[in-house]
Amino acid sequence: MTAILLDKVERKLTLNEVIEKYPDVPRIVILKTDVHLRGVHFTDAALGVVDPAIHQVRGKSLFGSRDGQIKPLPASLLLKDGTLILPDPTPLERSPYVIDLVDGRLALIDNDELLEFVDLTEKPRYYDLVTTSGIPMKEIVTARPQRLDLIVSGYCHFGTRGNSCRFCDINSHNRQQAKEGVGKSRYKPQEISETIREALKEPGRFSFIHLTGGSVLAGDEVFDRELELYIETLQAIGENFATKKFPVDVTTSALNEKQLRRLNDETGIMAYTSDLEVLNEEKFNWVCPGKADSLGYKEWRSRLIRAVDIFGRGYVGTGIVTGVELAKPFGYTSEDEALRANLEEAEYLAEHGVTTWSSPWVVRPSSDFHDQKSPSLEYCIRFARGLDQLRVKYGLIIDFNDYRRCGNHPDTDLSRVH
Amino acid sequence: MSVQLSQELISIINDHRSVKALATVDDSGVPHVVVDHSIYVAENGNIHYLEHLESSRSNHNLVGSIWFDRKVSIGVQGGDDKKFQIKAFPVKVHITGPLFQKHYVELRQKLGDVDLTGVWEFQPIEVTDESLKALQQDEEANRPIFRHLDRFAKIQSNN
Repeated sequence: MTAILLDKVERKLTLNEVIEKYPDVPRIVILKTDVHLRGVHFTDAALGVVDPAIHQVRGKSLFGSRDGQIKPLPASLLLKDGTLILPDPTPLERSPYVIDLVDGRLALIDNDELLEFVDLTEKPRYYDLVTTSGIPMKEIVTARPQRLDLIVSGYCHFGTRGNSCRFCDINSHNRQQAKEGVGKSRYKPQEISETIREALKEPGRFSFIHLTGGSVLAGDEVFDRELELYIETLQAIGENFATKKFPVDVTTSALNEKQLRRLNDETGIMAYTSDLEVLNEEKFNWVCPGKADSLGYKEWRSRLIRAVDIFGRGYVGTGIVTGVELAKPFGYTSEDEALRANLEEAEYLAEHGVTTWSSPWVVRPSSDFHDQKSPSLEYCIRFARGLDQLRVKYGLIIDFNDYRRCGNHPDTDLSRVH
Repeated sequence: MSVQLSQELISIINDHRSVKALATVDDSGVPHVVVDHSIYVAENGNIHYLEHLESSRSNHNLVGSIWFDRKVSIGVQGGDDKKFQIKAFPVKVHITGPLFQKHYVELRQKLGDVDLTGVWEFQPIEVTDESLKALQQDEEANRPIFRHLDRFAKIQSNN
């Protein structure tokens, strides 16, 4: 009897069971979410068709992968509906999805079943160029199929005080990249400007620029130095645009109103993000001790709401690491309870014009939470569905972080039809 | 399941003088039709449609179609009153890559400062000849009662 009860409580629905249970959610979004949760493994045959001279392979990144290795594997895989999978290479013993070659095409496979064909993306032209100072441009700006990515600071200063977010591997991955010679931690404004200039020479290739990085605490006011780095970088990028504002956003620490006004007035940004990571103060204090110490949950949230006055409704967002609120021992013990709490808090933010999106939690081997478990697929789908419904209810758009301008959030994939 | 388009139909679709329309439906079944010259038959036999706008009703409906296996309909009218309807499934949208960028550049050369959000690819599954002559022949053969009596009369009226 006990065994049966436990099975009822702990058994997670399979992919097909989730697809059947939620017919209003597209199968491909559910599949993509499961691939995100379980990771991928490339067969030798699949890797045989990946040519770094033609295709875009992984470059410098903010976060590491589940296999803890840095290899020139495909940076993204395109699905038939235009969404993408950001493949997270995962050891075979952890039962990842398999990318194999079927009839000469790359295919997503699970238990010998062909689920979808996928396409590689070609590298941008600027990947072959170097700056006048001799730096390979692909080190400075990496690319998704339609987005340019810049890491403003590869190191998070919360780590200096031993206060990194417990799910995060930024600093260990940064150290690994430095050790293996994968780029520098910062580049000069001129190098950034030159790289963007070359990227823009390829018509139709890119539709967005995204800047992010670790928190920088220094300055007269906390995050002042971080703000300066973003302004400097954005101004270098902005030299290449004819208009003051252009499609670019930043994900920074939660800046205060004065800092936000400077960011808006002195740069071309059109949208602003600061990640709360966890939608509950008590869990936030445990999971994100650095953020809790620097500002605290309520102030972090309040700064997001004040950003709406500057950037507008639907142009301010916050990312959630979905499932980290279920971590043991201090997380929620029930997915239902966690979901209810998350959506209540997301609704509070939506009422105030802030949109919330979900990144299903991938347990990183070099993070503090390395021995925890990712949430269930069903939980991620229910949360994604809830966030999409909130956007509809409150008339919030998510244009700066949708399937094309990011591609890493199941809920924003759903919102592409609103 | 897919059908191969005849050479005659391919020629009509690819003729810039032909009129072409794409019909989609939303989640509630409300139809939406756009007349669009960008529709053409690609080398692999699938039909391509260039969607300019991410936020257009057609684009939203097409995303719904590819997600939930909903068909679309493409109407074509060529010279000599030749009309066809093609039912099809969207099988892919190209939002990046060489095909997308080729069309992006060509569109802007042709139309000026416009954008392109995707090249939708449809697999045809059924073709019907929609010319009045063909439809009338079909109805007269299979539904002979559906005619007004005066058409059977010995003396045909001119009024």
